[in-house]
Amino acid sequence: MQKRKRYFLRYMLQYSYFLLGGTVCACLLHFAIVWGNSVISGVIDQMLAGQEIILRDFMPGFLLLMFAGFALAFIKQIFFGIYCVRVSGIYRSCVAEKLYRVEYAYLKNENSATVINKLNADIAETENLLSTGVPQIIMDVAALLIYSVYVGSLNLGLLLLILVTYPLVFWIAGKMVKKIRTLTGTYRVKSDVMTGIAQDVLSGILVLRSFGLEEHFQEKMHQAAADLVDNEEKRTRVSNNAMLVRKLIQWIPTIICAVYAALLVGRGALSVGGLLAFVVTLGRLAEAFVGIPFDFVETAVSMVSIRRIEEILHMPDEACGTQTKGEDDSNVVISLQDICFGYTEETLVLNGLSLCVKAGEHIALVGESGGGKSTIFHLLCAFYQAQSGSYQLYGREISDWDLQAARDRLALVSQDVFLFPTTVAENIAYGNRDATREEIVEACKKAQIHDFIMTLPQGYQTLVGERGAMLSGGQKQRISIARAILKNAPVLLLDEPTSAIDVGTEELIQNALDHVMRGRTCITIAHRLSTVQNADCIYVVNDGKIAECGTHAALLAANGVYAKLYERN
Amino acid sequence: MKKNGNTWKLFLRTMRVMGKRGILYLLAIVMMSGTFAMFGVFSALLMKRVVDLAPTGDLRRLGITIAGIVAGGVLSLVCYRFFAIIYNVEAKRVYGVLYEKVLDLEMKLPYSYYETHHSGEIMSKVSYDLGRMGDIYGSRLRRTLMPFLQVLVFLVPMFFLSWQLTLCLIAVNGIMFAVDMAVTEPMREASRSLSEINSGMTQRLSDLLQGMEQARMYRAGRETVTAYQEKNDLYVKKTKRVIWLSACLESSSRGFELMCLLVFLLLGVYFVQKGYTTLGALAAIYTLYGNFSSQFLQVGQYFPQLVSYLAYAQNIFDFLEEEREQEQMDGLQDEDSSGSEMAVRMRDIDFSYDTAKAENALLLRRFCMDIRMGECVAITGASGCGKTTISKLLLGLYPVQNGCICIHGKNVADMTKQEWRQKIAYVPQEPYLFHGSIRENIRMGRLDASEEEIIEAAKLANAHDFIIHLENGYDTEAGERGDRLSGGQRQRIAIARAILKGAPIMLLDEATSALDNESEQLVNDAMKKLQRQMTIIMIAHRPSTIALANRVVEM
Repeated sequence: MQKRKRYFLRYMLQYSYFLLGGTVCACLLHFAIVWGNSVISGVIDQMLAGQEIILRDFMPGFLLLMFAGFALAFIKQIFFGIYCVRVSGIYRSCVAEKLYRVEYAYLKNENSATVINKLNADIAETENLLSTGVPQIIMDVAALLIYSVYVGSLNLGLLLLILVTYPLVFWIAGKMVKKIRTLTGTYRVKSDVMTGIAQDVLSGILVLRSFGLEEHFQEKMHQAAADLVDNEEKRTRVSNNAMLVRKLIQWIPTIICAVYAALLVGRGALSVGGLLAFVVTLGRLAEAFVGIPFDFVETAVSMVSIRRIEEILHMPDEACGTQTKGEDDSNVVISLQDICFGYTEETLVLNGLSLCVKAGEHIALVGESGGGKSTIFHLLCAFYQAQSGSYQLYGREISDWDLQAARDRLALVSQDVFLFPTTVAENIAYGNRDATREEIVEACKKAQIHDFIMTLPQGYQTLVGERGAMLSGGQKQRISIARAILKNAPVLLLDEPTSAIDVGTEELIQNALDHVMRGRTCITIAHRLSTVQNADCIYVVNDGKIAECGTHAALLAANGVYAKLYERN
Repeated sequence: MKKNGNTWKLFLRTMRVMGKRGILYLLAIVMMSGTFAMFGVFSALLMKRVVDLAPTGDLRRLGITIAGIVAGGVLSLVCYRFFAIIYNVEAKRVYGVLYEKVLDLEMKLPYSYYETHHSGEIMSKVSYDLGRMGDIYGSRLRRTLMPFLQVLVFLVPMFFLSWQLTLCLIAVNGIMFAVDMAVTEPMREASRSLSEINSGMTQRLSDLLQGMEQARMYRAGRETVTAYQEKNDLYVKKTKRVIWLSACLESSSRGFELMCLLVFLLLGVYFVQKGYTTLGALAAIYTLYGNFSSQFLQVGQYFPQLVSYLAYAQNIFDFLEEEREQEQMDGLQDEDSSGSEMAVRMRDIDFSYDTAKAENALLLRRFCMDIRMGECVAITGASGCGKTTISKLLLGLYPVQNGCICIHGKNVADMTKQEWRQKIAYVPQEPYLFHGSIRENIRMGRLDASEEEIIEAAKLANAHDFIIHLENGYDTEAGERGDRLSGGQRQRIAIARAILKGAPIMLLDEATSALDNESEQLVNDAMKKLQRQMTIIMIAHRPSTIALANRVVEM
């Protein structure tokens, strides 16, 4: 089995030199403390031996030590801070990159509120690990090592005693990690529920408001909040039990060690100055010793977040080949052979569908709704891969194509027009970033939207609002057509191109489309049979297959499915 | 000074959100601090006994004192646990309450707010700012308050053991605290600007998710990613200032810690030499001081964090102060509506989305329309002429500048918007289906509807047949964007929902314009069935839909 790539770990290693710098500073800082301590313990013994102590002698060295402390702490924090920001920065942009590349199906299936919440909350959690978790572990480990050496130099027996009693703490802590982790997991899910409700409300505000559903959603949220409190009660019970045990365990070795040290003094194996130095160091050593496993518990909590992000990062990318050109000799633009496809494994939407489009042909797809017409477009744009069968674009299997190159050849005008919350001009320029202002205006004129844009308060610089909220369906559709015109792709995919256009403009838009379609290969999903009578070939999609195909006249003569559809119209 | 006052006010406001439970919450923190500090005091006493008794070798007395001290320690921890649970539950409770408040507002903003604000911006308030504000209750406040209270508890035995040393220590810690306070304000500003950038990043991300088809079909989609990454770089850059500030904090914390250790021990030695105190007391003070200073440091560390988190609370409070949609419509003239048998009467309506606009730039000007009860009317016209605006006005989503609207013979100025909207069942062009099953979505029309009524409504809307053929029937997940359902299917579910509402007027805003012929047929069929039962207003442009109407209003 191939080992999964760990993105987070890789970025952590990439900048590890900052971490190293911070670690060195942390060690030096602890060393300064130990050094000061040992000098003082010597002084105490001297004093107890009856010698006069002159403070002035120590002052210059101690002052130096103090300033070193200030400087080291400062540098250490800068190192750790830069480390955190670099790693989390690159990780974030890696996640955004992934969202762009990840299989279309993944995003369609996931509730997009969950994805956004994941990215905000989980990335914050990741930052938390980097900014406090990791430095804390390093500080604790450095403290553990340096203080152990010091205690060992005071009395080896004491060190051994510490090394025997403290591992017990690790063992019990390890047992608790799992329990806390699972409960934290469910807690996170609960807050996803709340975010999901908030997102739902926002997206469906128009329906919600016109149906007066405010109370219903308030009630839903209330329930979710109650669940959260409930969950919290259980969670804190567990985590506080862990805390209680932790504190007591932390204490036991301290007691044993203190008593043992007292015995050592009684026997004369340890000086009183040494005892005091030991007392001072023991607290710090114990803190580090006990802190480490719990640092890891904290890390485990952050790992839940990291794991969820990694889960996104590990979703398969859209399959992408390397070829940027089709087979030259082919004049068949699109060829589908025996395509079987379903959004889930169980139900097939397309079942052995075949069709073939030659360069310059105008093809129409008609058929009942839910018959799979839009699905065909999804496949043509390579949003999804067929389970079986072959899809060739310009004579080359779609899997061999570089996706961007393949999509460059297709201009899609879909039912679901998404406008980005920016200016009209930028939305249209989305079709081709290099387009000049004149080209944009030209495209808009062709799409019959220029005149309308000129009536807007800031013309082409007007902000369209989210999803084009300020525009009517017909206006949005025409902007999306202008976008497609600007893209200037050889193949045009029109999904219900005139459906949302208003009466007055319908004819205009049809003319515009005729103009755009000229010289291009064109596939249209049409619902009004009147608009497709001029097509070179009409395919009737039924039950995931092509039921029949031919020209309008031929199909009417055949008196099949098409003829029935036509009659009904 | 004024700024500090504001911070304090903001803090009080944050606490007042909890209401009476806030007292329980604060009490829990106080008790947690007390019990936890007592545990530290017991530890210190242990050290004092050990150092004092070690040279004497009296093991029996040592044993008895240790047993007593351990018992005290265990007791204080058990009490601590009890209060910690209360604290955590209260913290989450207030988070839930806040979430409910924010949601309440999120639902009740004036409609123009949704059209002028990016939903990513609003969602960032909900999931980022509110989360951080929740952290104030959940951890930030405790982390600041507990060390402070514990410091107070520790000071008592310390003064008893040696007041001279204790005063010296307090002086050093005082300096440290001053440094921390100096960093507080810049830290807060830095985090506010970070929050703004973050909200911009959330927007880019949601663009990328919602517009994913476009993002992939056009090369420009790449740029959305690039734009996000640029924002990210900016975020990283701005964070550098925070790093610098926190390095100052860390330096002062650790540096003074070292300073205290050295000064304390040196002075201690001096005092013991002079006979002011004993070595045992020194050990005890030291142990206490270890706790004391780490707690003191935490006040210094967490206080600025608490203050910076208050910026998120401020964002939420600002948001909560956003104007709500008014319960009643203003800008409407009273008109004697008695005896009106009209389902809808619009008189002399002046309207423009931009209220500041001059009279001559109005979208609707002296607009009048009457629709009789039981009529089926189609409103049609060129794109941009204000058809959809009419439906928004009929739903009371925007205030009109002038004129009068009567619904079902009653002036809307005399109704609350709730009552008003009760009378209209609305079917939008893009039917939004909520997260949940198809059944739940239909039930949204009337929440107390029975199963039979739901099926009845679905049948009327020509939706029943396709629903029962779905794998899970009425329990099928309708989902965020209801991708598994076709546009026609979703629209019929939306119509079933509207039918279930049982309102006297049904308003369809381009409900069939995005549908294929067959679906349109089914929808129109459903409309025919409903025609005699209610008033139907259709905003439409398809001839086949318009043909259903008794009367056509051309705009």
